[in-house]
Amino acid sequence: MNRPILVVLGLLVVAVLVVASSALFVVHQTQQAIVLQFGNPIRVEREPGLKFKLPFVQDVTYYDRRILDLDPPVQEVILSDQKRINVDAFARFRILDPLEFRRRAVTLANFRQVFGGRLNSAIRSEIAKVDLQDMLTGKRAEVMDRIKDLVATVAPEFGVEVVDVRIGRTDLPETTSQAVYNRMRSQRVAQAAQLRAEGEELKAKIQADADRQRTVILADAQRTSQTLRGEGEGVRTQTLNRAFGTDPAFFELYRTLEAYQGALSDGTTMILTPDSEFFRYFGGSAGTPGEAAKKPQR
Amino acid sequence: MAWKNQGGPWGGGGNGGDQGPWGGRGSGGGPSMPGPPDLEELLRRGQDRFRRALPGGFGGGRVVGLAVLAGVALWFASGFYRVQPGELGVELLFGQYLRVTTPGLNYWLPRPFGQVITPNVERTNQINIGYRGAADVGGIGGTRDVPQESLMLTGDQNIIDIDFVVQWRVKNASDFLFNIRDPEPTIKIAAESAMREVVGQTTLEDALTVKRQGVEERTRELLQSILDEYGAGVMIADVKLQKVDPPAQVIDAFNDVQRARQDKERKQNEAMTYTNDILPRAKGEAQRMIQDATAYKEKLIREAEGEANRFLSVYNAYVQNKDVTRTRLYLERMQQILKDSEKVIIDKGGTGVVPYLPLPELRRRSEQPAAGGEGAPK
Repeated sequence: MNRPILVVLGLLVVAVLVVASSALFVVHQTQQAIVLQFGNPIRVEREPGLKFKLPFVQDVTYYDRRILDLDPPVQEVILSDQKRINVDAFARFRILDPLEFRRRAVTLANFRQVFGGRLNSAIRSEIAKVDLQDMLTGKRAEVMDRIKDLVATVAPEFGVEVVDVRIGRTDLPETTSQAVYNRMRSQRVAQAAQLRAEGEELKAKIQADADRQRTVILADAQRTSQTLRGEGEGVRTQTLNRAFGTDPAFFELYRTLEAYQGALSDGTTMILTPDSEFFRYFGGSAGTPGEAAKKPQR
Repeated sequence: MAWKNQGGPWGGGGNGGDQGPWGGRGSGGGPSMPGPPDLEELLRRGQDRFRRALPGGFGGGRVVGLAVLAGVALWFASGFYRVQPGELGVELLFGQYLRVTTPGLNYWLPRPFGQVITPNVERTNQINIGYRGAADVGGIGGTRDVPQESLMLTGDQNIIDIDFVVQWRVKNASDFLFNIRDPEPTIKIAAESAMREVVGQTTLEDALTVKRQGVEERTRELLQSILDEYGAGVMIADVKLQKVDPPAQVIDAFNDVQRARQDKERKQNEAMTYTNDILPRAKGEAQRMIQDATAYKEKLIREAEGEANRFLSVYNAYVQNKDVTRTRLYLERMQQILKDSEKVIIDKGGTGVVPYLPLPELRRRSEQPAAGGEGAPK
């Protein structure tokens, strides 16, 4: 009869499986594990893979092997120049010694609270050594390194390794920000006013220059025109002199007669005596020499 | 009816010797005589069915074995997996990373022994910092500014408002999957830190204008070096500044500076317009003045020449007979003059005539075209 044997075999297989599932455990690439016996840590498994333990008697707790985040809350920090800033820093760490970690912190939440406090106090102490302008230069990186070093000395107590500490936001408190805004605003207002004033100044200058040029142009033209007119008059006088000078006596007669005609216009009342040359023949056909008669020339 | 021949633990062949408590009622004929239901038979049927359910049994065990084998085969077959183009397959054995596979159809042991993760290594991922785009808020509305992320200090202690994006790709699949617990938030927070460090060393003016590209480049480099330090397995493809502005509270004043610059230019243009207007006009006027003067000069010269020539012509004629010409000229002219004027002829040797000149009357009369004056009759 093989029936009982088969049954026993079946039961045996079941038993083996049950034991195996309690004696084998997997450590994932992202994990590390502590093997506990009746609650006491026996050994640490940091490498991934299939591992063995005593079934039922021993237990496994897992911890993350990856880089984890630590982001303490924003805190207001005083700088060396008594200015205040709100600093939001963060750290990245790894659990290197799960045993130690378990002993000191047990849970991640607890660790974050405790270690976060240490981190914040390191931040406070390092930032108190620099002023605001330093934080805005290459010194910022130095400060971060010093904070990291400070915290790194405490880290092994918790079984962690501090990978990095960085300062994220460094913002001014609200009142200071307002003061900065006011300053930025007033600087710009002054700049705008200056630009506009410069504009006015340039405009006035250019216009004045144009006016000046205009005056010069017109004055030059005036001078030239007067010169020309003068030249004209000069040539006229020369020409007339040359012509009239050929016989000054005749010119005198000629020109005077013209003058008489021009001056003694229509309607002039003249009181005459008959002894002017015009009335020579008034008395008789023989004529009398008038006072105004001119001696014949030549 | 197999149970008929089987010798179970509950007694021999089902047919004979039924001396149960119920007596020999209906058992003599066996299975061919269906009598009223026999409780013992029922029990036996149930027992045998139970027996069949146990492993290790003969014929019933075969079915169970087949089922188990089929299950195992299915389980093995589930180990096939496909790696899409742009992905990589990361294979783990008992949680331990072994290797990376390429796109296509691959096989690996299924769980609980093996595991495969297929991250996308070609897609460019984007993180928005300083604002939330439509994609971040679930496709509702446009962008929304996040001042806590976007306002930062500049090198000259001013405040600036910067929105930027970080574009990243998986560079090393195993590093990306196994080194950092939350890679994307880490990238974001490191990017903020890097940007603030770089902007903190740039003046406001520079950041708004000429140094934008420098800021992008330096932030990208710094961020990449931080993430490499962490072993993130990530490549920062680009850091791009989306919007660089003065903070909202002061942006008006900044815009006014722009406007003032434009005003200044405008004033200069107005002045140039003025210049371009009056100078040509002045030049035109100058030209006109000179032309007038030249014309006047020419006129004078010609008039003089004309007058001179006229005189010379008369003179040439006069020279030929001076006395006659003189007398003629005189008489002609005087005739003309006296013809058109009022005359009073008083003989010097006249008797007792008192010359009385009513000058006011004369003046009045000369102003009117009236009749001639009256003198004393001769």
